Amino acid sequence: MTALVEASELAVGYGGPPVLTDVTFSVDPGERVAVLGPNGGGKTTLFRALLGELRPTAGTLAVQGRAASVPQTERSRLDFPVSALDVALMGTIPARAWWRRPRRADRAAARAALARVGLEDRAERGYGELSGGQRQRVLIARALVQDTRVLLLDEPFTGLDAPSAERLEALLAELAGEGRAILIATHDLEQARRWDRVLCLNGRQLAFGDPAAVLTPEVLGATYGAAIVTLPGEDAAGPHHAILPPHHHHHDHAPPR
Amino acid sequence: MLVGETMLEPFQLLFVQRALLELLLLAVLSGTLGCWIVLRGLAFPVHGAAAAAFPGLVLADGLGFAATLGGFGAALLFALAVGRLGAGGREAEGHGTLTALVLVAALATGILLASDVFHSAASVESLLFGSLLAIGPADVRLAAAVAAIALLGSWLLGTRWLATGFDRDAARSLGVRSALPDVALLVLVALAAVSVLSAVGALLATAVLVVPAATTRLLTDRIPTWQLATAALAAVEGTLGVWLAVELNAPPGATIAVVSGTAFAATAIAQAVAPRPRTST
Repeated sequence: MTALVEASELAVGYGGPPVLTDVTFSVDPGERVAVLGPNGGGKTTLFRALLGELRPTAGTLAVQGRAASVPQTERSRLDFPVSALDVALMGTIPARAWWRRPRRADRAAARAALARVGLEDRAERGYGELSGGQRQRVLIARALVQDTRVLLLDEPFTGLDAPSAERLEALLAELAGEGRAILIATHDLEQARRWDRVLCLNGRQLAFGDPAAVLTPEVLGATYGAAIVTLPGEDAAGPHHAILPPHHHHHDHAPPR
Repeated sequence: MLVGETMLEPFQLLFVQRALLELLLLAVLSGTLGCWIVLRGLAFPVHGAAAAAFPGLVLADGLGFAATLGGFGAALLFALAVGRLGAGGREAEGHGTLTALVLVAALATGILLASDVFHSAASVESLLFGSLLAIGPADVRLAAAVAAIALLGSWLLGTRWLATGFDRDAARSLGVRSALPDVALLVLVALAAVSVLSAVGALLATAVLVVPAATTRLLTDRIPTWQLATAALAAVEGTLGVWLAVELNAPPGATIAVVSGTAFAATAIAQAVAPRPRTST
């Protein structure tokens, strides 16, 4: 089985010193990878490198075909006069010469992608009128239209209610089952535990491997700094960890005046 | 029938017919480009580009080269500067202050050039507010050419303008990495600003390029409908404005601006009082 994504000694930056170094991992078809790390830890940088927007400053990065990204829904404009179908159609841009307009086949592909995420009956709805979970699925449909086997999702569960999150989780499992490699930036350790691999980043790669091996207090401590606590109570999956957002942490240790 | 004939009498005059033709061409421009201007938050930059064209026109007038060229040069310079500064961030955020500064500088320079350097103060009013009833065939040809270019641009680049405006980062990952589509939009904005100058002048350009699209935006949810509705509205407002201007012996540019402003206000108030039901719920 050939890996869909393969990074070796990868370093990426924005012109200055690299902001992410020592990244070595590979993702096989059918694997869901949780990408963990604090904000600014390099998750977005890694995704931009996978999308080909940033060139490695060192090491190698190979992606089979091209990757498609599913951004956070709040980055898109809700007041835009676009339907779910219009948004999905944006996914046909990469495959089309700049002077061509969407053709019948493009529309069919966009509709099929919307059907794939269970939104065929919402195709003509305004994007802004959809629920958060539906909007997330429209953006996934836009990525699926691009006919790629590597999907990158940026905190897709943020702001979703429980039924929407469950539905999205099931969809990601199906998409992985079709032989895609799916990288998911997340802060949810319980979710990460259910997926196939975990990649921890904080300026450099701290760990990569099976959830059981990676999700240890030591690795998580190194990944998130000290902003992590172990919650009382333990189940079969191990102890519960929670990540404290950084801003909870600052003021506690402010130097006394 | 007598009343009807009397009402239509102004439209038998050649200069009124030409003004009407100009306005119908500008309505096409308003429908195609105006919607993108509103959608991409370029309304104030359009105003700025038109104002920037004013000193260009005065210079061209004084130095004896083609006014269109002078105006377009200045407007283009401004539009590209705005685009360059706005390229990194979200549009409409960084543009405001720069646009306001250029607006003031352009108007002041234009007035000084016109009154103290070239002593062409007589035409300042027509440069600022247009002279719709005195336009020549060249103005009509310019409007036709710019309307055609706007149609072509919207047809070819519309999906990219839409994707970039919807989510700039995602558009990049979709392969819209070139700045060219957005530069083309800014060039079109400059062209549009110059093409409306003869009709409504530097200060009222937005009456044609922004206000109709902003009005129909309140009523439509999809871009093709929006563009068609805007072109239709701009045509009606222009026709009504010309007719009123002739009947009341009022300046046509200002009359059209008042008509379109009133239509916007009425629509906005109607929306606030009785919100339109969502199309698909």
